[in-house]
Amino acid sequence: MNDSSIQSNFPTLNKRKSIEEFVYFDNACTTLRPKSVINAMNKYYEEYSVCGERSLHKLGKMVSDKVHETRSLVARLIDARKEEIVFTRNTTESINFVAYSIDWKKGDVVLTSDKEHNSNLLPWIRLSAKLGTVHAVVKSDSNGSIDLLYLKELLEKYNGKVKLVAVTLSSNLDGITNPVLEIARLGHRYGALILVDAAQGLPHQSVSVKKFDVDFLAFSGHKMLGPSGTGVLYGKKKLLEEFEPFMIGGGTVVKSTYNSYCLENIPERFEAGLQDYAGIIGLGEAVKFIQKVGYKEIARRDLELNKYITDYLCSIERVHIIGANEPEKRGGIISFYVDGADSHMIALMLDEANIMVRSGQLCVHSWFSDKDIQGAIRVSAYFYNTLEEAEYFTKTLSNILKAV
Amino acid sequence: MACIIALIVFSIMGLFSATHRQLAREAFDCVFRRVTFRPCNTGFKEKIRGRIIGKLLKRSVALAKFSNKYFEVFAWIFFLLTVASTGYTIKGGYNFYRYGSCNGLNQGGFCAFDPTGKNNATSSVADGSCPIKQPTTKDLTLSAVDLELFQSKKADSKNDLVFVGCYSCDYTRKAYPVVKKLLEKENINYTFIHFSVKNENENFPLYVYAASKIDQEKYWRLNDLFFEASKEDLQSQEKIDKMVIKVGYDLQVIKDEAQKETTKQAVQKQIEEIRKTHIYGTPTVFINGRSIVGPKPYRVYKLMLR
Ligand SMILES: Cc1ncc(COP(=O)(O)O)c(C=O)c1O
Repeated sequence: MNDSSIQSNFPTLNKRKSIEEFVYFDNACTTLRPKSVINAMNKYYEEYSVCGERSLHKLGKMVSDKVHETRSLVARLIDARKEEIVFTRNTTESINFVAYSIDWKKGDVVLTSDKEHNSNLLPWIRLSAKLGTVHAVVKSDSNGSIDLLYLKELLEKYNGKVKLVAVTLSSNLDGITNPVLEIARLGHRYGALILVDAAQGLPHQSVSVKKFDVDFLAFSGHKMLGPSGTGVLYGKKKLLEEFEPFMIGGGTVVKSTYNSYCLENIPERFEAGLQDYAGIIGLGEAVKFIQKVGYKEIARRDLELNKYITDYLCSIERVHIIGANEPEKRGGIISFYVDGADSHMIALMLDEANIMVRSGQLCVHSWFSDKDIQGAIRVSAYFYNTLEEAEYFTKTLSNILKAV
Repeated sequence: MACIIALIVFSIMGLFSATHRQLAREAFDCVFRRVTFRPCNTGFKEKIRGRIIGKLLKRSVALAKFSNKYFEVFAWIFFLLTVASTGYTIKGGYNFYRYGSCNGLNQGGFCAFDPTGKNNATSSVADGSCPIKQPTTKDLTLSAVDLELFQSKKADSKNDLVFVGCYSCDYTRKAYPVVKKLLEKENINYTFIHFSVKNENENFPLYVYAASKIDQEKYWRLNDLFFEASKEDLQSQEKIDKMVIKVGYDLQVIKDEAQKETTKQAVQKQIEEIRKTHIYGTPTVFINGRSIVGPKPYRVYKLMLR
């Protein structure tokens, strides 16, 4: 697919008459949605907006079939089994799900990297405050990815006590991808479970939970073309089966009496109450779209744009890129800060030129506090962004940097 | 500094839109932190700066650069201007309350609270001559005027009110009921001077003088009747005669008195005396010697009393 055929699928991009009207470089926050996703959701609301699963009528069956289809699509996308896919609202909910479900003992240890999104940090901090678990941070190495030696050191130090290693696949701060395969191998060797926050990773790279041998994988639909309010938790079957659902009610039991109930199988037992059918159906379409474009093409475009913008930024002395300088290590993300200029201020100046980026501490406050950096500007590209847009961005930023 | 200006600007704009209300809240938070000696870490200042410089960038990089360099200076200038204009607004509001005009007592010019300027409007008393120097408020005085020549009601009060007006002038007719209410409510020494400015019935001043000379009590009632009557009625001799009869005068006696040479001389003397006040429009009210030109709200007259 070329630029214009890709862009023509996105109504938000179709609306603009020229790129000066709208350039969207905040894809790490949420992506734009293709027409197919919107249409599928509209179709649900217009043609069969009824209950799935519990209602046996024709329309109900249509909904159930669509939900199953999405579950299969998602399972196939990450190389999992259908029953291992639990629909949630987002990555945050998926991670909290795990935090609530594991049977913690006082002194159990959770390890995270030093660049976790608040969603993969706060649940563990709270856990230690509430249950007396220990949360320890694994520093990144000079390449910006998790330091495996340091990880090993900590696993040894806490010898058998590390219950969970929870790491991001790709950082939303700098786009750097962690060696999940090695992390999982190492963690398992010390008896730890592995949770991967794939919110940023999965939209840009293929993931095989089998190959990586991770125990849990969390991600959001809205960061990969899907509707807001859709997320997924993958969990290994045997682990999910051990979990006590932290929310129960309609849809989670096969039967109940006045004083007992019998839980549904996984994954339904974790999906309490009426589900966001339209969202789930939309998510299925999003997965199809990503597969149509292909991860190879996504990676190629990420690199092309990242390289162009990185080359420009590297030429400016006052600008500091966060993470590795090599664009191939940072997926679609280019975060940087400018000496003597506030990140929000620059972002708003870009916004005045209709370029949308993210600024501030990007929900990774811990890292910024530790490094004593006030904030950053994050440009995050996706496959529908173009070189022309990147050029417009660099030209605009160059003018801004002349002024501030 | 930018936060303070933003607070003022957005507070005003916030009256009309919710977005600006939110910005005003942020600005307030920032200002509050500053005054409590904490850093304004809300990022608000940077947001405002980013928006402004970003907009300028679209016009010219040099202009944006210049504005960014001197942003604090501009912020201070705007702050001082804002303080000054706030001061003027408060002063204007006070003046309007006190004197019926934002610009001060008897001062013309635009006033937002009285956009049509009706509180300052007068009927001109120009007699067609063209004085070298137009009289102004400063020239208004009663000091050389012999008030004994005019009708008055002594109330043994420390407050004196002299009302100079003309029966058929719109603005006098507007002011009269207001002044009358004041006279009814307060104890005031009152002098009324009728000063014909419009092409009134020429016998009018003579009649009025004659009436006042013959019976003071009836004269005040006649005075009220003249202000109550329509302007057209005041043009008609017949209607005036009817009013004279209505208050209980003998018309013939009034007519005879009006025809007397002494009456004509007295009226002439009155006119000369009025000229000494240098009034340039009616109504002009003097309260304890201070002049008030134009029909003012009740409170303005009241506040002038001792
Ligand atoms: C790495 C990472 N983890 C977790 C999240 C949280 O995602 P959500 O808000 O969809 O729960 C984000 C969102 O930006 C993210 O980038």
